[in-house]
Amino acid sequence: MPNATSQNGTVEDPAAPGVGRTRTVRFRVKRCDGPGKPSRWESFDVRVAQGEGANILACLQRIAANPVTAEGAKTTPVVWDAGCLEEVCGACTMVVNGRARQACSALIDTLAPNDGDEITLEPMSKFPVVRDLHVDRSRMFHTLKRLKAWAPIDGLYALGPGPREQPARQQERYAYSTCMTCGCCLEACPQFRLEPQPGRWDTAFVGANAIGQTLLFNEHAIAGELAPDRLDEMLAPGGVSDCGNAQNCVKVCPKEIPLTDAIAAIGRAATIHGLKRFFAR
Amino acid sequence: MPDHDRPAPFMQRHHFLLRRLHSLAGIMPIGVFLMSHLTTNSSVVWGLVNANRIPEGHAGAGTFQHEVNFIHSLPYLILIEVFGLWLPIAFHAVLGVYYATTGRPNHARYPYQDNWRYTLQRISGYVGVLFIFYHIATLRWGWTFLIPGGTQWEAQYAASTLAMALQGGGDGLTTPGLLVSAGYMVGVSLLVFHLANGLWTAAITWGLTVTARAQRRWGLVCAGLGAAMMVMAWSAVIGFATLDPAQARLAEEAVNRGHADPAHVEPAEILTQNPEGGRP
Repeated sequence: MPNATSQNGTVEDPAAPGVGRTRTVRFRVKRCDGPGKPSRWESFDVRVAQGEGANILACLQRIAANPVTAEGAKTTPVVWDAGCLEEVCGACTMVVNGRARQACSALIDTLAPNDGDEITLEPMSKFPVVRDLHVDRSRMFHTLKRLKAWAPIDGLYALGPGPREQPARQQERYAYSTCMTCGCCLEACPQFRLEPQPGRWDTAFVGANAIGQTLLFNEHAIAGELAPDRLDEMLAPGGVSDCGNAQNCVKVCPKEIPLTDAIAAIGRAATIHGLKRFFAR
Repeated sequence: MPDHDRPAPFMQRHHFLLRRLHSLAGIMPIGVFLMSHLTTNSSVVWGLVNANRIPEGHAGAGTFQHEVNFIHSLPYLILIEVFGLWLPIAFHAVLGVYYATTGRPNHARYPYQDNWRYTLQRISGYVGVLFIFYHIATLRWGWTFLIPGGTQWEAQYAASTLAMALQGGGDGLTTPGLLVSAGYMVGVSLLVFHLANGLWTAAITWGLTVTARAQRRWGLVCAGLGAAMMVMAWSAVIGFATLDPAQARLAEEAVNRGHADPAHVEPAEILTQNPEGGRP
């Protein structure tokens, strides 16, 4: 039955027999030509086949191949960032239908199952826009350096075998080690704000992912040597005390990292560290 | 880049200490005071159990007068007020408003219950501090031009003059009086929420409740405490908004003259409590 309209309004594509019915999905994309430039909305219609497993990035590729808006106007291809395509690098994080997530794991069959369904794409609002959906996330790397998120094992001689690691502790830390610094927790945080000026990054709120990494490295047998330095940063402006306990971070984290547990654990460590500093220094 | 030649501003140098003092001040003294304050004020309702000890007038009003008389017998009351209440409230309010302006509520995009409470905590803080200012200015500092009816609150006639301030005068509830009473209802409800939710977040801030399970458990405790305080707050406002000032005045005068004492224990009760015989 070619071109038969099914119950949910999708139409079988005669050009691609066997792939299944195809439908038109409309993408509303918030576009921006460069840093400091004004934003505008453009719509694109993309044909998607039922069951092909397309994600948002596949649709953005189709838009790039034929950059014509839904109104028929020729435009520039939409720019986006991507890396691994399997939700472990965080590069393609964007705001999909108002919620921060990775575009690679955002499947069209789930988001827009019917013909004419709409998907809204925006760049993350907490990072400076490079162009269209591509943002500059270097502030997160800056914060990890500020928090010394590493194990200090560099030296001129062999340090010998490391300390023994307890499996139970390792399991606890494992969850935090899956953080890919994507920025979802920061995008959803009412306390984390856009700071285009790098000069403000050392006093602005570090955000949930950085507090999770502080716990990860403080609990590490070797990296824990730098725990006092990290806690000094947690007591400074922008540290853990700037958390407002809205707890959006833990709900939007694609890796389901217990970020609010980390915030409370670092809050406890900061309380003790602060008391030590107040009375013993 | 941090400027090493100039010392950082005061707020930045003592960032953590100020944050923790802000949290502490909300619980002690302010939160502890609010609990005792609501206990005292709801005595206009629970004080009705003293009907046999205060035979004249409204027993709740008499009990409230007895509580107020005790508070006004405290030594150095003005120092307790200034250093125990007004300055901590000003500190908590000024810092709280400053901290709140550093956030951007986003409950519309992320409508989680926790996130709604984040927003409501800030709204209740803004409204709450305005309400506290009106409350103290009109009743304690005597800014009677802000009271419909222009009546003055007097400590020796605590219940009747409070009822008049809430009702817009001594001749029953007027429309401006209804507005003041409704404002009190909203104000105290928001402040009770602010304390209950603040206790929940403070336990995370200080690191007492670390896991999500512990936070849920403590959340139940805070919700229970908040519900109990809400009952006290509403009974106090409704109790005074509906109190007959004349009946209240009768009980107040009886208590003030020493003719009625809600804390009075009958000799017979002492005897039943002490079977050995009523040795004083």
